[in-house]
Amino acid sequence: MISRIARKELTEMFRDGRFRLLAGMVLAISLLSLAAGWKNYSALSQQHATAQVATRSQWLAQDKKNPHSAAHYGVYAFKPKSQLAMVDTGVDPYVGVAVWLEAHKQNDFKFRPAQDRTAVQRFGEMTGAEVLQVFLPLFIVLMTFSAFTGEREQGTLRQVLSLGVSRRDLALGKALGVTAALGLVLLPATVFAVLALAWSAEGGLVSSDPARAVLLALVYLAYFALLIALSLAVSARVRSSRVALVALLTFWFANSLVAGRAASDLAGWLYPTPSAIEFQKAMDADLNNENDMKIRLDKRRAEVLKQYQVDNVDALPIAFSGVSMQEGEEHGNEVFDKHYGQLFDRYEQQNRVYQIGGVLAPMLSVRALSMGLSGTDFAQHRHFAVAAEDYRRGIQRSMNGDIAANQKKGQVYLADQSLWASVPDLDYAAPSTSWVLGNYLASLLVLALWTCAAMGFMVRSASTLRAD
Amino acid sequence: MLQATNLSKRYQDLIALNALNLTVRPGEVFCLLGANGAGKTTTINLFLNFIEPTTGTATINGVDVTKQPLESKKHVAYIPETVMLYRNLSGLENLEYFAALAGRPDYHRDQLLDFFKRVGLPDGAADRRVGTYSKGMRQKVGIAIALAKGAKALLLDEPTSGLDPKASNEFSDLLRQLSADGVAVLMATHDLFRAKESGTRVGIMKHGSLVAVHDTGEFSHADLERIYLEHMHD
Repeated sequence: MISRIARKELTEMFRDGRFRLLAGMVLAISLLSLAAGWKNYSALSQQHATAQVATRSQWLAQDKKNPHSAAHYGVYAFKPKSQLAMVDTGVDPYVGVAVWLEAHKQNDFKFRPAQDRTAVQRFGEMTGAEVLQVFLPLFIVLMTFSAFTGEREQGTLRQVLSLGVSRRDLALGKALGVTAALGLVLLPATVFAVLALAWSAEGGLVSSDPARAVLLALVYLAYFALLIALSLAVSARVRSSRVALVALLTFWFANSLVAGRAASDLAGWLYPTPSAIEFQKAMDADLNNENDMKIRLDKRRAEVLKQYQVDNVDALPIAFSGVSMQEGEEHGNEVFDKHYGQLFDRYEQQNRVYQIGGVLAPMLSVRALSMGLSGTDFAQHRHFAVAAEDYRRGIQRSMNGDIAANQKKGQVYLADQSLWASVPDLDYAAPSTSWVLGNYLASLLVLALWTCAAMGFMVRSASTLRAD
Repeated sequence: MLQATNLSKRYQDLIALNALNLTVRPGEVFCLLGANGAGKTTTINLFLNFIEPTTGTATINGVDVTKQPLESKKHVAYIPETVMLYRNLSGLENLEYFAALAGRPDYHRDQLLDFFKRVGLPDGAADRRVGTYSKGMRQKVGIAIALAKGAKALLLDEPTSGLDPKASNEFSDLLRQLSADGVAVLMATHDLFRAKESGTRVGIMKHGSLVAVHDTGEFSHADLERIYLEHMHD
């Protein structure tokens, strides 16, 4: 019975010119956004791969020089892009994807496409995620708002109900019909996305994380089921199609467009972050704290003198300049950990506001999960930033250690390529899917609850459906 | 087949239907006459369980319509003033869909076309979208749905109003055939002439009450009109 109702709904939709037009448009923007995402992804990952190789070979090809010069020469680290980033670019355009690792400094990430954008482009760029989070929900609303009210207004609802059809079957049949129509519209886009993933994957599709792709699909599927159920419930409950359309468009607008903005304003108000200049000034003040550094260095000097049983640094068998430079690094690291740690914690607190906001606007939960599974959320940015910073500190330790061990008093010390080669390449492993999900348990729960509640609401509303 | 026992419907201070007692047996065509607001449509809506009775019961084939709403509808078909169909589907697709929803999903095309033939739907109309159908054709599709469902009772709400005399006459013929096959028919109508032609009994309703019931065989058409107007007078 349910499938028979679904089939009739589909037939009717396909014969409706408005549906065909709308479906064609949705299909076109899905394909366009995916194509743009794929182009962007393949260009960027190509550039990253080339640049990563280039920065490594530049590091290795350094002439003989003092290790500290090499430390200043530095290397770049590029955040690897997940293939799913072609669907959801997440925070990448805002936080950047590459960082320069040099002596004395934990740098900010650079190459933020958002910096080069004009204000208008904010609305111009269409990612797969935007289509999935903004356009498809609108499509669902337009397809379903009159599901029941329209039949009531047309008079067919009386006729159908007089036949002895259960209202629940009627609602489920309609839900299935809309889902199938949506599926048919999305199918070409999905096929395209899978092919694009396969093309761009170096070792074939398996090299990407299929679990993430499947989960991402499930998250959106749950979201669409939620919206379909909610739309049908509203359509079953209200008096007229006009009321249903106004109510659902209001929800769509608040959920898809306003909620994100409001949540970020609220998060910024609850957990304010310093401006870039304030942040830099506060950090510089700690970095340039001479007294702090002096205490540190005196303590370290005493330790080293005691270790080697000598009473002045000139009598040491090692070059104390290497030790003192490393001590400067350690001082800096402490300051960086404090300031960046506070800043990053703030961002994560803000993220939690988003996740909790999902209770009111489920789109926020979906967006968080979508970015997380696409590997473009802030948590994964931080994960990479920490790994890159650890790598930088490792380089500084080996350079300073080499100076301490090999620099002779009164001589110019030059290290050669064997030292550069002793620094391993940055080997970054992106966090596992379960790590990602662990960050978004709240969002998963909220989305699941919303979906179940919407379905319950639909069945309940349908069972009290009035014939006229 | 159709039975109302002390069936009443009240809306706050308005009595839409007052203690209706009525039985329509198989093969009977019972016509409810009365002015607008007399309670005819309320009676039909109560039988369809589209509204809840305030007191009393309505049964179809012995099944209480409020206690077993889905079961009670198995044997009944409803034809409103204008049979509403899905305009993007053809007549045949509409018939097939409604028959399937009525629990008869297994008709072949030939069988469905045969129903259309029995109700006199013009050749070639079956595969056209119903957007192009006249009202008379829609009413015929309504009867075809009732036939496909194998309904033992029909609830008709002014099914011939607005039909041209020929279409109206054809509709009456179909009703006579159905009643000859043992279908119980309850029809709300304004059309005294049709009531006399196709009805076996008429009931006159006023302000929610059934005030008179007569066999149509007792009177001429003129008598029926006189009796009706007498009841409407005060």
